[in-house]
Amino acid sequence: MRGFTISDVLTMLAAVQWTATLVILALAFGAPLALLLARMCTGRSRLARLVATGILQLVQGVPVLGLLMFFYFGMPVFLGIKVPALVSVGAAFTIFTAAFLGEIWRGGIQAVHVAQGEAAACLGLTRWQTFRHVVAPQAFSIALPATVGFLVQLIKNTSLASVVGFVELARAGQLASAATFQPLLSYACVAAIYFALCFPLTLWSRSLEDKLNGAR
Amino acid sequence: MALVEISNVHKSFGEVEVLRGIDLAVEKGEIVTIIGRSGSGKSTLLRCINGLEQINGGEIRVAGEQVHSRSTDLRKLREHVGIVFQQFNLFPHMTVERNITLAPVLTGKITKGAAARELALKVLAQVGLEEKVDAYPGQLSGGQQQRVAIARCLAMSPDLMLFDEVTSALDPELVGEVLKVMEDLATQGMTMILVTHEMNFARNVASKLVFMHAGMVHEEGRPADLFANPATPELANFISSVR
Ligand SMILES: Nc1ncnc2c1ncn2[C@@H]1O[C@H](COP(=O)(O)OP(=O)(O)OP(=O)(O)O)[C@@H](O)[C@H]1O
Ligand SMILES: [Mg+2]
Repeated sequence: MRGFTISDVLTMLAAVQWTATLVILALAFGAPLALLLARMCTGRSRLARLVATGILQLVQGVPVLGLLMFFYFGMPVFLGIKVPALVSVGAAFTIFTAAFLGEIWRGGIQAVHVAQGEAAACLGLTRWQTFRHVVAPQAFSIALPATVGFLVQLIKNTSLASVVGFVELARAGQLASAATFQPLLSYACVAAIYFALCFPLTLWSRSLEDKLNGAR
Repeated sequence: MALVEISNVHKSFGEVEVLRGIDLAVEKGEIVTIIGRSGSGKSTLLRCINGLEQINGGEIRVAGEQVHSRSTDLRKLREHVGIVFQQFNLFPHMTVERNITLAPVLTGKITKGAAARELALKVLAQVGLEEKVDAYPGQLSGGQQQRVAIARCLAMSPDLMLFDEVTSALDPELVGEVLKVMEDLATQGMTMILVTHEMNFARNVASKLVFMHAGMVHEEGRPADLFANPATPELANFISSVR
């Protein structure tokens, strides 16, 4: 046994990079998927709407932990190869992000008045041009506060990756706690770091929301 | 051949038949005013003309092209048919200049930059709002927004313009400035089909008056004749109710 020292804190801070890696992976792959799902949900094809809505409902109805387990234990089984934990955990958070951001952005797109899209179509714009220049920018500012709010959820939820042994911030806290027998101190430290990451985002989301409400 | 030929058009929303066999021809340069009670199908007819609504029977031709045929490129058609709505429908996140030049630039009519700004200023001059070129819609009065919406239409140099109660959402003191712009357009020979409750405009500017009733063209003719001698009790009633 050894005491809890500054080096434990430093180890935890170093583990933040893996939390960040997960968040960035989830956003990099999940956000384009989310956009696709949101577009499908609001598009003209009934089949696409059905499929996308189904995916959103399904994923949203499963706890993140379930997703993690599914990808961590399922990927080797279904793909027949061993994949690094980063890949399976990254895939789980990608799907999580795709579903929740997809839902948020679908709401944003639907909040833009139909008449806006009609006006654009009447000016001879293609459907993509209409989305790109008229609907998306307005949907984006409507959905931005909720999007930033989701980011906070994502950061906190990456702590679940610790259950499959992926060493990110929460897992680093566990390890420190086990080595020092100072669980309270270790986890307080973990909590403080999460708070330091999330609180500014929460504030930002709040101020975006105020701005949006002010603009109406 | 007329610029717009509408023959025996039927249109239903679900069970309700809103247009029940409309026939109407609009020659180039004509100013056609459509009047009628609320729910008589006026907006629906306008929306059918530029393909915003599908039809269930009959046909509509604009410049010889069948609007509701599968082979028609609606986008190309709409570059020639402008529509102005009651609620303006300007893009709130864009400046007036960008509102006006977005479509001409994206459809390849003009290039970005100096040419675009020049076009914006030209059409804004037609509606008397050059000084607002850099404003956002939210900074303009209703009348000004509606004039920008008209300018945005003009920037596509349409052959036909549709107006759906464009002054109905405006405060009474702002109606005049918009009507003035439309009168100027009429004088310059623009072909226009407009739905309006402004009876003076219908009487003095229109070359043809169409009275719609229960999804059909109930009466049509020269405004002065129709106002003086309505042939049917429905039109007589309507005229006396809006006086
Ligand atoms: N998208 C729609 N779905 C279902 N019914 C509709 C739709 N649009 C219009 N209608 C119905 O069709 C009828 C005609 O509507 P329309 O808007 O063309 O009337 P209007 O003559 O323009 O009336 P107003 O003077 O009130 O604008 C109305 O009964 C209306 O409720
Ligand atoms: Mg109407």
